[in-house]
Amino acid sequence: MKYCLSILFTLSSVVSLAQNERFVFGFFPEAALSYKLSEDYTTTHKIESQHGLYDTQYLNQEFEYAHQLTDVQTFLGRRLSPFLKADIGYQYRLQEGKNTQRTIQQISILQRVSYYRLGHRVRVDQTFYKDAPLLFRARYRLKGQLPLQGQSLDVGETYLTISNELIYMIQRSEDDIENRFAVGLGFYMDDKNKFEVGFDYRTDDYLVENRFRHRLWFKIGYYKSL
Amino acid sequence: MRCVFTLVFIFCAVLVGFSQEKNEVERRIKSDEVHDNAKEWLKETYKKRGKTKWYYQTDGNKEVFEAKLKHNKQLHSIEFSLDGQVQNIEILIGEDELDPKVLESILKFLDTTYTKSSISKLQIQYTGDEDDLEDVIDEQEFEDVIVKYEMEFYGKNDKDDELWEALFDEHGELIQKRIINLKATDNLDY
Repeated sequence: MKYCLSILFTLSSVVSLAQNERFVFGFFPEAALSYKLSEDYTTTHKIESQHGLYDTQYLNQEFEYAHQLTDVQTFLGRRLSPFLKADIGYQYRLQEGKNTQRTIQQISILQRVSYYRLGHRVRVDQTFYKDAPLLFRARYRLKGQLPLQGQSLDVGETYLTISNELIYMIQRSEDDIENRFAVGLGFYMDDKNKFEVGFDYRTDDYLVENRFRHRLWFKIGYYKSL
Repeated sequence: MRCVFTLVFIFCAVLVGFSQEKNEVERRIKSDEVHDNAKEWLKETYKKRGKTKWYYQTDGNKEVFEAKLKHNKQLHSIEFSLDGQVQNIEILIGEDELDPKVLESILKFLDTTYTKSSISKLQIQYTGDEDDLEDVIDEQEFEDVIVKYEMEFYGKNDKDDELWEALFDEHGELIQKRIINLKATDNLDY
């Protein structure tokens, strides 16, 4: 109950904050499938999709539905130690006539602190457009996972996730910063099946005058491994 | 677009359909759920103790209650059977609190087995009957109790690169070790 109240509070503050700036609200489902190729190598396929329901700029303020984009990603990961993993990835984005391709490189570090765990992710990616210069982004995400029943996360239990990601991007000579803050409730069915539901609050165009944007996504995610 | 919604629907349906496998389970419980014998032993033994948190644990066969509390600035975990009989006490300690000879033996094991290693958690474990375990805490008397050390560590050599849990005897000689399988990190990585 306490969590619902805090989420509602955050939501209402975001909406009131965003009244004079561009604000987008929508639905963001994502799903990932991972499997081992060998002792050290893993493949992960991920699909995620953004569906806008409300956008102050396009004035579809009557909750008019608009598909914004769908990303299909594939990663090849190598385990470097029990706590360290390196990945290379490829993404194809479907976006109404503006489809793009992206290459991704990332290092993820697992940190176990007391009874919760932290995932550090350092990622760089390059986006290729048909009619625009290459976009380069450098990102760092910290995600915490906290069991809600007892001190260890067991089958059938729930957990809380909190994450923040800072993204620096540069396209030719224009640069910008984006921030992504997310909270969610996770359902740990077993180690091969996890379901997360929550909110992902994104702000960007920090370095561009008069274009500051808030985006709030209602997110559901399913993580499956074989 | 319809396809995306169909996918989401399938994932939700899969969720509902999953049955829970039998596995190691630990969950927080209220002290009312714990046998009175356990609470009485705790009250008698730990006269000055911090807040006690109670847990229920099972590996599918054995079921126990576990009390976690702070005593003399150390973290104690006390295991009880379901009928409230104390089974053992584990105290979280630092390397510097270990008997130098035991530490030397443990470090020798790490140095000879692994090229790279680091200790992440160390516990001293006392096993014995309830009176003897009570004496360990309130009188610092260690008669008739079995002392063992449980250690969680990272160890890497040519063959293995893992996180381990090992049990050592009172002299720091290895009794057994096993690999700790860390939980999947897919939700933290992607």
